[in-house]
Order: sequence, then C-alpha cells, then structure tokens
Amino acid sequence: MNETVLEMRHVTKRFPGVIALDDVNLDLRKGEILGICGENGAGKSTLMKVLSGSFASREYEGEIVIDGKPQTFDNVAMAQSSGIEMVYQEMNMMLDSSVAENLFVGNLPGRRGWVDYKTLYANTRELLKQAGLDLDPGELVRPLNSGQMQMLSLMRAVAKKPRILVLDEPTTALTDSEVEILMKLLGQLRDSGVSCIYISHKLEEIYKLCDRVLVLRDGHTISCYDIDKVVEATLIEEMVGRKVENLYPKTSHVCEEEVLRVEHLSVPHPNIRGKYIVEDISFSLKKGEILGIGGLVGAGRSESLGAVFGQYTNHVKKEVYIEGQKVEINSPKDAIANGIGFVTEERKRNGIIWMLSIRENVAVASLDKITSGMFIDGKKEEEQVKELSDKLRIKAPNLETKLIQLSGGNQQKVILAKWLLNNPKILFMDEPTKGIDVGTKADFYQLMSDLTKQGVSIVMVSSDMPELISMSDRCLVISNGRITAELEKEQINEINVMRAAIAE
Amino acid sequence: MKNKSKMTAMFSRPEMGAVLPIIVMVVIIGMVNPNFFAVRNLVDVARATSYSFIIAAPLTCLFISGGSDLSVSAVTNLGGIVCGWAMASMGLPIPLAVLVTLAVGVVCGLIKAGIVVKLSLPPFIMTLGLQYVINGFVLVSTNGLPITGFSDSFKVLGQGRLAGVYWTIIIAVIEGILIHIMLTRTKFGRQICAVGGNQETAKLAGIDVNKTRTIVNVLVSVLAAFCGICMASRFNSAQTTVATGTEMTIMSSVIIGGTSMMGGSGTIIGSLLGCLLLAVINNGLVLMHVSSFWQNLIFGAILIISIIIDKYRREKSGSGL
Repeated sequence: MNETVLEMRHVTKRFPGVIALDDVNLDLRKGEILGICGENGAGKSTLMKVLSGSFASREYEGEIVIDGKPQTFDNVAMAQSSGIEMVYQEMNMMLDSSVAENLFVGNLPGRRGWVDYKTLYANTRELLKQAGLDLDPGELVRPLNSGQMQMLSLMRAVAKKPRILVLDEPTTALTDSEVEILMKLLGQLRDSGVSCIYISHKLEEIYKLCDRVLVLRDGHTISCYDIDKVVEATLIEEMVGRKVENLYPKTSHVCEEEVLRVEHLSVPHPNIRGKYIVEDISFSLKKGEILGIGGLVGAGRSESLGAVFGQYTNHVKKEVYIEGQKVEINSPKDAIANGIGFVTEERKRNGIIWMLSIRENVAVASLDKITSGMFIDGKKEEEQVKELSDKLRIKAPNLETKLIQLSGGNQQKVILAKWLLNNPKILFMDEPTKGIDVGTKADFYQLMSDLTKQGVSIVMVSSDMPELISMSDRCLVISNGRITAELEKEQINEINVMRAAIAE
Repeated sequence: MKNKSKMTAMFSRPEMGAVLPIIVMVVIIGMVNPNFFAVRNLVDVARATSYSFIIAAPLTCLFISGGSDLSVSAVTNLGGIVCGWAMASMGLPIPLAVLVTLAVGVVCGLIKAGIVVKLSLPPFIMTLGLQYVINGFVLVSTNGLPITGFSDSFKVLGQGRLAGVYWTIIIAVIEGILIHIMLTRTKFGRQICAVGGNQETAKLAGIDVNKTRTIVNVLVSVLAAFCGICMASRFNSAQTTVATGTEMTIMSSVIIGGTSMMGGSGTIIGSLLGCLLLAVINNGLVLMHVSSFWQNLIFGAILIISIIIDKYRREKSGSGL
C-alpha cells in the first residue's frame, strides 16, 4: 500500500511570459486515489499534460520517475507504454464507429489484420457490464448522451489495463446515478492495485473518493494532506489564498436607478437535451455599477451574458428590462440598438478580425454611425477611431495596422474601443483581462472606473479573484447554472466566492 | 529614395502579385511572336479579359465574404440558353429576354445561398454539385443543341463597339468600378469584409451574416448569367457548354490577384490583373503554337501554384511581427 509508483520531481513549465508550473512535486502510491484541486489556471491541466507526454520532455524542466526509474516521455504513446492513461474532460469519441470499436481503438483483438469481432464483442460486454452501461457493443456512439460517452471514454482507458489512471473533471457531464457508478468503479480499480489521479473542483467528490489531496495554486504545490486529516475550510483557503496587489484604482459610482434587469433567464445545453447550462436566474444592474460574476469555468457565466446579448437564441427564455422598459433582444443587433456592448472572452474566436485594420475593427459595430447616405464617411471614421485609440492608448504604428500585429492587450483595447464607439449604456465584459500583461490590466481597470463615473454600467465575468474582488461593487456567484450567492461589496472575499462557486 | 520605397511598397501589395508575371509573359511571347503586339491581338486579349472579369469581380466579393462558387460557369451556360430560348422560342423582345435571364440568375443565386448559407453546408462541394445539376439541366432541356436565330440587334452586346471599344470591355470596366466602390466605400462592403474575416465577430457586431452572404451569392450568379448573354451575343448562338471549365480559370484569376480563399481580404484591381494574366497566357499559347492540349495542364498548374502562394502570403502576414 505504501509503495510509490509515480513521482514527479521539480516540474517547471514555462509558456511565453508565464510560468504555468513552478517547481511542482507529486507522488502517487500504489492503489491509492490522489485528488488534485485548485482554482482555474492553478496548473492542474498543465501538470497532467506533462505526465501524459503531451509536452516533449525538453519542453519542461523536472523529472518523472516511475517505480524508481526516471523516464522521459516525448509523446503520448511513450507515456501510455508506461501504463499511464488519461481521461479528459473533452471526450474524443469516434462518433460514427461502434461502442466496441471505440473502447478498443488501437488494440483491437485479431490476427493478420483481421478483427476478431467475437472476442471484441465479448470483451466489450464485460466492460459495459462493469460500467453499468446498458448498451450493445455494435451500437453507434453518435446518438449516445454525454454521460454515456464520458463513461465510455473512462472504460476505453480502463480497457488498456493502466497502472496509473488520470481523470480530469470526469463528472461534469454525469448525472448523480452515473457519478455513483463511477465512484464504485474507481473503488474497484483501487482495490485491484491501480493508482488514480483525480482532478476535481468538487470537494465533496474528493472527500468521498480520495485517499490524499494535493492543492495547487498559481503553478505551485501548496500542500498535500491525508484526506481524513484536513477540513474543507482549510482546503478552500489554500486554493485561493494569495496576495492582492494594489493595481485597482476602483472608486464607486453606483447610482440608485436601475438600468438593466434580467428575469428568468434559462439557457439550454447545446448538446444535452433536457439539461440547462443556466437555469432560471435573475439579476439587476444599477447605473454606474460594476456587477461582478464569479464562479468556476463552465458554470454558465459566459452563456448568461451571451444569451442576454442575443448571441444564443435557441430555446433561450428570458425577460429583459432596460431602464424599466421591457425589450425584446433576439439578436446582437437588437442588443446593440438597446445600448449594450459585449467584450467577449475569446478575442481570437469572436472578438477581433485579425486581417483587418484597427480602424476597420473599431468601426465594425457602429457602421451606421459613420455612414452618410450609401457611403462610409472616411473622415468621420478616422477622427472617431483616432480619438478612442488615443484615449485607450492603443499602441500601434497607425490605425491601418492589422490586428494580427498587435499584442493581446492592445487587441483587447481595440475590442473595447469597438463597443465604446457606440456610446453604450451597458457593457458586458467576459474575462476582460484574460491573458494580458499587468501594465495593460491596470489601464483596463482605470478605464472601467472612468466609464462607471460617466454613468456606464458594467457586468464583468471574471475568474481572476483579485480582479473580481477589487473591481466589483456587487458580486453574483454562479454554480451549475444557478446563482448561489449575491455578495455586497463588503462581503466579497475569496472565501465567500469560492464557497459559493463550489456549492452544488 | 522615398519614391523608390513607395514603389517597392506598391509592388509588395498582394494584389500586385500578377504584375511581374504579366510583364515576363508579355516579353517572352513578344520575343517568340511579335504579332502579339498587333492592335488586333491586344484587343482580343482585352476582350477575353473582360469576359472573365465580369464574373471575377463579384466572385472576388464572394471570396472576401468567405464563400466560394464552382457553379459560375454552369450559370453562364444557363444564362445564354435561357436568353436564347426566350428570344428564339418565346419570341420575347431583347430587353425582356435579358430581364428573364437575370431573374433566372437571381433564382440560381438564391438556391445556392439556400444551400450554403441557410443550411450552412461547405460551399466548395455544394456548388460543384450545383454545377453538375445546372449543366445537366441545360443539356436535357436543349438536347445539347445550340439555339440560334436571333435578331441582328442582339449582336450589339457581344460584337458591337463604342468608339472602337467593345461593349463588353466598357461594361466590365464600369462594373469593376462600381463593385470596387461598393467594396471599399460602402457599409455593405465593410460588412462583406467583416463576415469573411470572422463570422462570429461580425454577428456579435450586429451584422446580419446570412443576409450579407446571400446577397453576395446572388450577385455572383446574376453576373454569371449576364456573362452568358454576352457570350450568346458574341457567337450569335447560345451554346450549351460555352463556359464549361472556365470556373477554374476565373477562380485562379481571383486568387492570383491577391484575394484570400479564407476570406477577409482582397481587391477588385487584383482580380482584374489576374484575369489579364490568364488571358495573356492563353493568347500566348496560341501565338507560340503550343498545342491546345497543354492548356489544361498549364492552367491546372497555375491554379495549384496560386493557392500555394496564397498560403504563404497568409503565413507571412501571420508572422508579420
């Protein structure tokens, strides 16, 4: 029971400009389940990518030791041949192949290139029985629901008889009864001597399942406990506890009048029928207020903003009131007409147009404003974009510079300028400072503060705790598509936010 | 010194990529056969350029919007046949026949938009299918026979000249200027660039993405049908396969002219130069007595090379800083 099967020693992984893992150490014993918990961006996924061979050994520093022997993994196949199997959050299933083929892809039984379907199906039935899945081995995977697929991807790893099994948030797509089966299955694997690493935000699961728990924060190993020797509060503190630097020039400009009220907002899951990403939430926003929205990635925060903005409309239910008037928002166009702007999270995917210039990018959401008759008024466009570009201090040779040549921070400023050109009353900002440097961050916070002073109201989704705490006048926390806390300014702290974020 | 750097800057623009090859080709062809420079021959080159440019100009907009269309040549065939049928079999006056043909072009464009925009299916393969369907329809409805017997005044469009210049050249120039202005100066033009540059961003900026893409698709088909009328007029007969195969050369012209297959950027002037280059090469092959069997091989190679160049151009601009 105490024999160590895996050690990761002094692992450091750098990305350009960021240290994702800084001298991380981990050890895993035979027949135990080790939980790993930490905030978004704490380095959990990166650490597992190191272990699985997704990064070649020269791309990071540190050592992986299996059964006392140092190993170098340059690709995933090398890690697999050492008995390490990963089950990822995203399920990479071959949708148009059968259940059996998916489970045994890469090691189909058979001889001389012919598949032995009889053995394959027999082996598959055994695995399906273990997983409590009532499926036929020849059934296609496409029509299955995501819980069944998640179980299949777990069984695919189990089928390879791994010595070390890594699960990354395996229960996000599972129903309660499926979680039960998963727990039971992992218990059986542990008893048969398999070692597991179990990554989860859900402390409840960690307590139920794991023997020990490792806390990561900002790429550091913080602590490692036997699970029966640590209380939940300690774990939460250790997950969030870090110094807050003073880069937040926040002053409050909240007025009494309400500018936005959203009632009964529900957003269905795009792939799982009958499941909701956001379920019947309501909130309001006052003039000049910054309303923070906290919670874990995937809790339904971005979807809430997108649904109010008209980005998602399919089966979305909502009532939106702007300055007390009920309005219909069925497309982004309607939202813009009602004075809303939306700085989205993934600027490459839906924020910037990389081959177009700063001028064209800033003008794209306000073409009516700069068009007279049929034609675009080039002079007016130039003047207005220039004014904003100076105000936001966008660093570029000139306004004709293509967006691809700008840094992430400057791209983000261009996106903000795009919405400011419309003189919005309300700004939605989804992770406004994600992936930008500290200097530009400070600029951004100053701008947000200035905007609220001018009477603009902001809804800000953020996973950056210090940002959320310092910039919000009020804070909602969303977990599993529901609001689990509404915190007034003085109540907003890391513990309260984290506690609500992991609440069921 | 400053002038020189200005010149360099001008020629390094993607739409100017065709200028150097045009000069090289002109020199080579002229050395092999000085008849190339005969006024009559130069007029022929310009005339050939005008036909492909009439379609290449709207196709440039479609490429910029992120689309693609292999059905243009089939719509051109259809346009000639419909116009000929309207005049010869239905006895409609010329203006009415032209209107009917353009309406058929609109319908083709709407069907295409319905498939690739509304159902959001991949344009390349779907318009290839449409090409076969339309060409098939043309052959079935005519038994493959040309339609002839038009009044003399119908010849003006394809054979007539104004002050010595063919009408099709004048039309192509005017069309090019209008589309250029639309693309660079109007709100709609800006929307085309935004949609092709990043559909998600365009949608979130309040642009009706489907509407924009549909209009551009219709524009391409209408002008392809119009080109069919011009060809019927030029040959005084509507032929079922007159444009078959031209979709590839027209697409090559647009790409050689610096328009990206991936959408977002491109210019009308570039496409004009691309059309000119291919017309020069085509003409040169004849003048240099190269067997016409070589044409397919050469044009295929040009298409492949132009797409490779497009890829490198994009990568270069991607790593620009």
